Order: sequence, then structure tokens, then C-alpha cells
Amino acid sequence: MKKSDEIKKSIADLLELPQDIMLDLPKITVVGNLQIYIENHKGILEYSSTRIRIYTKCGVLRIIGKNLLLKNIVVEEIVITGEINGVEFMD
Amino acid sequence: MRGYVIIRIEGLYLEKFINYCIEREIYLWNIKRVNYTTLEACVGIRGFKSLRRVARRAGCKVYLSQKNGYPFWAHKIKKRKMLLVGAFFSLMLLIFSSTFIYNVDVIGNERISEDAILEYLQETGLKPGTNRYAVDLREMENFLLVEFPELAWVGIDLSGVYARVEVVEKVAPPPKIDKDTPTDLVATKNGVIDRVIARNGDAMVKKGDIVEVGDLLVTGIVSRQYMENPLYVHAYGEVYAKTYYEANKSMYLVEINKHKTGEKFSRRALKFGEIQLSLGGNNLPFTDYIVEQTNKSLSLWRNIKLPVEIILENYYEVVEVEEHIEVEAAKEMMHKEAVEELMNQIPLEGEIIQTKVDFKQEGNTLKGKFIIEVLEDIAQQKKIITEED
Repeated sequence: MKKSDEIKKSIADLLELPQDIMLDLPKITVVGNLQIYIENHKGILEYSSTRIRIYTKCGVLRIIGKNLLLKNIVVEEIVITGEINGVEFMD
Repeated sequence: MRGYVIIRIEGLYLEKFINYCIEREIYLWNIKRVNYTTLEACVGIRGFKSLRRVARRAGCKVYLSQKNGYPFWAHKIKKRKMLLVGAFFSLMLLIFSSTFIYNVDVIGNERISEDAILEYLQETGLKPGTNRYAVDLREMENFLLVEFPELAWVGIDLSGVYARVEVVEKVAPPPKIDKDTPTDLVATKNGVIDRVIARNGDAMVKKGDIVEVGDLLVTGIVSRQYMENPLYVHAYGEVYAKTYYEANKSMYLVEINKHKTGEKFSRRALKFGEIQLSLGGNNLPFTDYIVEQTNKSLSLWRNIKLPVEIILENYYEVVEVEEHIEVEAAKEMMHKEAVEELMNQIPLEGEIIQTKVDFKQEGNTLKGKFIIEVLEDIAQQKKIITEED
């Protein structure tokens, strides 16, 4: 983590601001194993029906599942539906 | 509502294509990976136009696979103007034809015949085929009330093409007898006299007498020893008598219930008028069964039916099971039924003195006799027919 990020983090802690806004981090919401919302993404790296890789501020987010479908895709948000088996961050 | 198209994108760098779309704010949804080089997605009409440049940049080819939504539909319909005109006219025709009354029904009449009311309505203008706006229903109601003095209230309701004439008949009051006309008091019910209050006239019965329907209770012909001609008076008063209301009930204590075993056999039949054709009518595999029959007929309009029916017969195999009913429960049930039945017969003014219940068991049958003793006024005035009349 860079120096500026650390300052930002301490400010966020101090002012009790949500960290995803201060640090530009993705916010991921998972509904069961059916749906996943990723806010604040930086683009898609790979997309197939079993694996999706999304670039975010804190590394690459990999979603593994079956019949994955990009329900919705806009600048800030991606909605993925299907049978989700795993979500992980990779460097 | 807004039109959208389903597109197929072919190329090697499909992720790149998606990212470009995000960048250019082209809204894509329902993105599906068909295979390694093909992607299927939905895109709005406006987005589709700017998609071509994106596709070129990403090195992909875009194919249109389906058009959806209102703008495409409107475009198609523009070429077929007569269809639209036809649809419009048939709608107008439907609306127009639904302003006519197709069916007139009379309900609530008991003494006045339905035909008489219908005939009168037809004369005044309410009959199948008249336009609903051409008749004044309130006026029609008044006409009916004038024409049939026996009616207390008339309401005509239109629900769609169906006119419902609801009538309420007057409840005829008991025949009023003028105070000057000589009358007798006669019994309206069988009973044992309990108390006679003759306010006018001579009592003919005393306490303990048994009277039958029509028996003279208080006479209006008063004759005394010293009078030459009897005096005709207007007899009135109350005659209280004990009347008996009886109900007999019987019940089988053994009930044969049919239980379905779960085996089912269905058979279909087609019926044209009177001729019945069975389709696949095999012999029944069960000896004991319940048949459930459902008819499906094609009805055109309300009660007009095509003479073609499909009959579906479901045969359920059953086992007969004897079930014994508790004597006490049966008694209670019968008692409840009997009381309910008798209570309908007993007039409201009547005073219930006592109830008698008697049960007898013969084999598997439980017989019950219920008697309710009521004290009530059984007197009714009746004109004396004199020779002068």
C-alpha cells in the first residue's frame, strides 16, 4: 500500500467514513449463490460461462461458477447471475 | 417498451469489446457466452448504432439476431395499415354490440309469473335486442309497479348485456275483517286448550279440550234463553293452547364409507348431441369404484352451447369400510337436526313449555322422536255466513 493510501485510510478511520468511497475499493454484494453485484470495478479481464475475472483496485476478482451471465453492466456496476461457486481476489 | 436488439458478437477479444462498451456508456445486458468466440447480448437501439465503431476497434463482428420491442413492432404495422383499420373496426363493433341487451331475467317473483312480467317489459321496450341507452330503467321500474300492484319494489340492473329485473312482492296482510261483521274464532292448529280469553262472543271450549284445525273456539252467535233470535257478534279474543311439534329421525349407526385405494383408471368419451363415442374404452379393471365425471363443452356465449361434449370419466378403485358411529354422538347430531327443523315451524310468539326426546335402537338403526310442546295463540277470526249474505 502506498503512503497516500495509508493517509486516506487513517482519515477514513478517523472520520468514520465508509472505506470503499475513500479508498476507491470495490463493494461486492453476494445474494446466496445466485447473484453477485460488484460496484466500483475497473473492467472485465475474462468472461466465459464458468469463469469471470474482473479488474478492481485491489487486484483481480475471480468468480467461478456455472452458467454465468452478465445480467447488467455499466460503468460503476456489474451484476452477474448464475450458479456461483467461488469468489476470490488474486494478485 | 423501448426497442432493443439481441446481437451476436464474434471475435477473439470479447472482454475488450465489453470494456469499450462500458467506456462509451453503451448499455449492455444479459450478456451470454455462447462459445469461445461468440457472445450474445441485448442492446438498446441507440446503443446499437454506436456499437459498430466499438466493434471495429475491438476487432469483432456484430450480427443482429433478433429485434424486440415497440419501435420494431410499430414499424412492421406501418406496412399493414388495413390490419390496423380492421382491428379498430372490430373493436368498435364489439363495443357497439355490447350496448345491446341480450338477456332479460326476472328474479324474486313467486306469485306473479315470469312470463307476465317479461311480456309487459317487452311491450314497454325492454327485451333482448334493445339498446341499453334507449330504455329508461327508472321509468320502466315505475311502469312495472303501476302495472303489477302486487309488487312492492322493482329494481332493474344492467350488468353488461344482461338485464336483471329484481322484484319483491308484497307480503299479503292477513285478511282484515271489519269490526261490525260477525265472526267466529276457529283453531289454526291442533292442540290442547290451556286458556280461553273471549273478549267478545261465547267460548265453546274449556281448558283441557282437544281441538283440531278448523274447530270452533269462540262463537259469534250468541243466544240466550230469553232471546228469540240469536245475536251475531264480532267475536275476538285469544285462545292459548298447547301444541305439539313432532319430528322423527332415524340414523344408521353403521356407515359404509368408500375409501379410495389410489388406483385410477380414466376414460374419455366424445358426445355429439345424443351419440356417445368412447375413446379407448377398455374394460374396467375394478369391481368397486367411484366414477367422477367431468364434462367439457364448448360454449359460445352464456347458455348457447355447441352440441359437442368431451366427457372425462375417472374411475377410482374403492374399498368399502364399515364404520360404527358412537351412539351418543349420533343422538346429539339427531337432536340438533330435529331442533333446527322444529324451530322453523314454531311461531316466534310461541312459548316453549317442554321438550321430549325419545330414542329407540333397533339393530343398527337409531330412531329418535322429538316433541316440543309450545303454548301459543291458535285463534283465527272467521266470518260467519249468515242467511242474509
